[in-house]
Amino acid sequence: MSTATSETVDAQADAAVEAEEKKQGTVARLWSQHYDLVILPAIIVVGLALLFLYISTQQLDSIEQRVLEPANVLGLLRQHLVLAAVSTILVLVIAVPVGIMLSRRWARRLQGPVLAVGGFAQALPPFGVLLLMAFAFSFGPTTAVVGLTLAALLPVLRNTVIGLQQVDQSLIEAARGMGMSARQTLFRVEVPLAVPVIVAGLRVALVLNVGTATLASYIGAGGLGELVQQALRLNRINVLLVAGGIIAAVALLIDWLAGVAERVVVSRSG
Amino acid sequence: MNYLDYLTSNSEQILFLTQAHFLVVLIAVGVGSAISVALGLAVSTGEPDPPRFSLDWFAAGVREGGLVFTAALLTVPSLALYALFLPFTGLGVTTAIVVLVIYTLYTVLRNTVAGLTTVDRAVLESARGLGYGRLRRLLTIQLPLAWPVILNGIRVTTLISISIAVVGAVVQGPGLGILLINGISRIGAANSFYQVLTGTLFCLVVAAVFEIFFAIVQRLTIPRGIRV
Amino acid sequence: MSETTDQPVVETPHGAGKPDMIVLEGVEKIYPGSTQPAVSELDLAIPQGEIVMLIGPSGCGKTTTLKMINRLIEPTSGRILLDGKDVTHVNGDQLRREIGYVIQQGGLFPHFSIADNIGVVPKMLGWDKQRIRERADELLHLVGLEPSTFRDRYPRQLSGGQQQRVGVARALAADPPVMLMDEPFGAIDPITRERLQEEFLDIQRTVGKTIAFVTHDLQEAVKLGDKIAVFATGRLEQYADPDTVLTRPANDFVSDFVGGGAAVRRLSLVELAHLELHPVETDEAGTSGATGQGTAAGSRNGVAVAEVDGSGRPVSWRHLPDRDAAGTPLVTVPISGSVYDAVDVMLDGCASLVAVVDEEGRAQGVLHWNDLVGGLRTRQGHA
Ligand SMILES: Nc1ncnc2c1ncn2[C@@H]1O[C@H](COP(=O)(O)OP(=O)(O)O)[C@@H](O)[C@H]1O
Ligand SMILES: [Mg+2]
Repeated sequence: MSTATSETVDAQADAAVEAEEKKQGTVARLWSQHYDLVILPAIIVVGLALLFLYISTQQLDSIEQRVLEPANVLGLLRQHLVLAAVSTILVLVIAVPVGIMLSRRWARRLQGPVLAVGGFAQALPPFGVLLLMAFAFSFGPTTAVVGLTLAALLPVLRNTVIGLQQVDQSLIEAARGMGMSARQTLFRVEVPLAVPVIVAGLRVALVLNVGTATLASYIGAGGLGELVQQALRLNRINVLLVAGGIIAAVALLIDWLAGVAERVVVSRSG
Repeated sequence: MNYLDYLTSNSEQILFLTQAHFLVVLIAVGVGSAISVALGLAVSTGEPDPPRFSLDWFAAGVREGGLVFTAALLTVPSLALYALFLPFTGLGVTTAIVVLVIYTLYTVLRNTVAGLTTVDRAVLESARGLGYGRLRRLLTIQLPLAWPVILNGIRVTTLISISIAVVGAVVQGPGLGILLINGISRIGAANSFYQVLTGTLFCLVVAAVFEIFFAIVQRLTIPRGIRV
Repeated sequence: MSETTDQPVVETPHGAGKPDMIVLEGVEKIYPGSTQPAVSELDLAIPQGEIVMLIGPSGCGKTTTLKMINRLIEPTSGRILLDGKDVTHVNGDQLRREIGYVIQQGGLFPHFSIADNIGVVPKMLGWDKQRIRERADELLHLVGLEPSTFRDRYPRQLSGGQQQRVGVARALAADPPVMLMDEPFGAIDPITRERLQEEFLDIQRTVGKTIAFVTHDLQEAVKLGDKIAVFATGRLEQYADPDTVLTRPANDFVSDFVGGGAAVRRLSLVELAHLELHPVETDEAGTSGATGQGTAAGSRNGVAVAEVDGSGRPVSWRHLPDRDAAGTPLVTVPISGSVYDAVDVMLDGCASLVAVVDEEGRAQGVLHWNDLVGGLRTRQGHA
């Protein structure tokens, strides 16, 4: 760096650097803490670029062109996002309150079984749940939302319970010791402390639902899975690759966004 | 025809598909775990804070990069991965297994890394102080002590793989997913509901078999001194 | 070299002339990324068969120094000689198999049985199974653990003190001439620690190893060390026997470190066996008849008389030259102890004098509170 010969000059340079660092402190700090967040978008962009490069060298026939028409893809993307978003909200609305209820003294005995069942239920295929819903109700997006919600419910409930369990017991005792009621302790101490975990649960739910929503096309609810289904039906490799690439990119991007949101919330709640 | 009748009259097919499902998961988890544990061992660093541009430093980079990358793979919907691999590995069992292997990587790698790095520093230091070389330390101290954590990672990844393997039927992979695809494509036809129900529920049967399997493996492979 | 050469050496406990087993020459360690050396220009020679205690405030480089001896940490510069051989560049793993190493947290392998833990180094050295097993039993015995009870247990089934004993046994397994110990008793409760220290000295009397022993406890250093090396951040401040360090600190740092309690700590260095005690006579209990006593009382004017029980153990004072014998409780201290122990007993029993007894409990002499203070002064003058 500095080639100054005298030590004083060096020291001055150091001081200048330090002042500079202080000025750019926040930006530098943010960068040094979160530079890894750049990696994923970079991978997505490069991946998609490669895909489109490849596709542009291919002669697409009329069928392929029709499937990959922007209007078609965007319409399916919109359906996909709506399915994932609605089911995620439903999952949170159900799983978080139930999780909190399970953390109450009178319900604690249920925690063990819920965790065990939740763990085992990871083997229960969301695809199957979705299809069973179609048999129970009908084909279509509403059924898909119910299926997605059911499939993600146990994993998120499990996360919430674990999150609340991890709240430092001494803090709760301290709160009770200061004269807070059980209710006040819950809403002023336990829930705020468990917010990071709830947000993590949100992320899990979102990723699960985005993934399962790709299968919603099998019960006539549309979504990006439709692209894959069409490609398989038409036996078109190019469409298959594009569909896979788009779905992967969307899922990665949503997980990335959720990850950013998670960091913001965690840094806010200390 | 009630469900029991369906089960009995189709028991052969159901048993066959359940076995196929079990095998596909077993192979995929076996291969994926072998890769992840080997990678985890290879990139485990001797020092907590290795000097720059050393082999350890490089290994730490591979480790962190590998974790980020495999974690990202885990968020890619299985349908997309099956679609992306189909052009290269074709319809059938190969694609089904390759994709499953990819999904097993992260959990096992993460647990391997965590297990290896959380081995008591004092134990490692005294091993070094007694003249244990690096490889000996890795294989006779770190790996056995990390094994319960690694094994649990393999267990969890197995449960997840069971449910993902179902989607493999989309690319004509073997297993219970075939019942789902058959059922949904014949909706309204006789037994189509039972097929879907069976395809879903028997995943839990496969999971139960694996849980028993892991309980036995745990008993047999976790050293006595650290068994809880 | 160290300050030993500049200072008048007082009462070197072991004669000079033993060959040096461990020699550090101009050893320096600068950790990567740090500008300050953790250890700088260190010269230290440890004679064969002696225990040298490395002591100093936290972070002063004791552990670094110790780990450079078995090359767990590579010195930045300087030379290290073991038994006259330069080991600065030999294979580190081979070297470490020939040096015993004990650390504070024990570091036993949790998945190895106790016997397997002890057999770790012999196994690497290729001993046969039978010999390893016998060695493990022998060492368990040496560190006071019953082999049949402990050899097949696992570390977590042992208390902290027991684990530490196994740690010592493991370090001794291949009979290395040199042992390095990093605060081995640091995490043990005070009572157990004291017992382990005693046992450690016993073992050392049998095995006669050359030992570098890190501690931050001055009491421990004084008790166990043949020599004490006092470190300040990265530098050796004084290297001398415990008595010298306590009575003649080389500089302000050492005297600050030794602190105000030095004079009291020094008491533990003075063995009762080496003191000239006041004579004591004994009367058997019940012989309080007039016959012998009249004559005795005359000749016993300046001598304490203790009443003893059937086996010769003193039970109470019958006569004391300068005070009321009945009002003075009789307390005893074994002659194998130090003046420190005698003071402890006197304070504890509210007695201004103590009967020093031999192994059978028979009175050998008397130590007075006043004499004791005077005695110490005289000895210091002599030295
Ligand atoms: N691995 C390391 N890397 C960098 N600095 C270290 C390392 N180990 C010790 N140090 C530093 O070296 C100095 C001496 O440490 P150490 O020898 O452990 O002290 P002690 O054992 O006397 O408490 C301390 O300032 C410590 O922070
Ligand atoms: Mg230390």
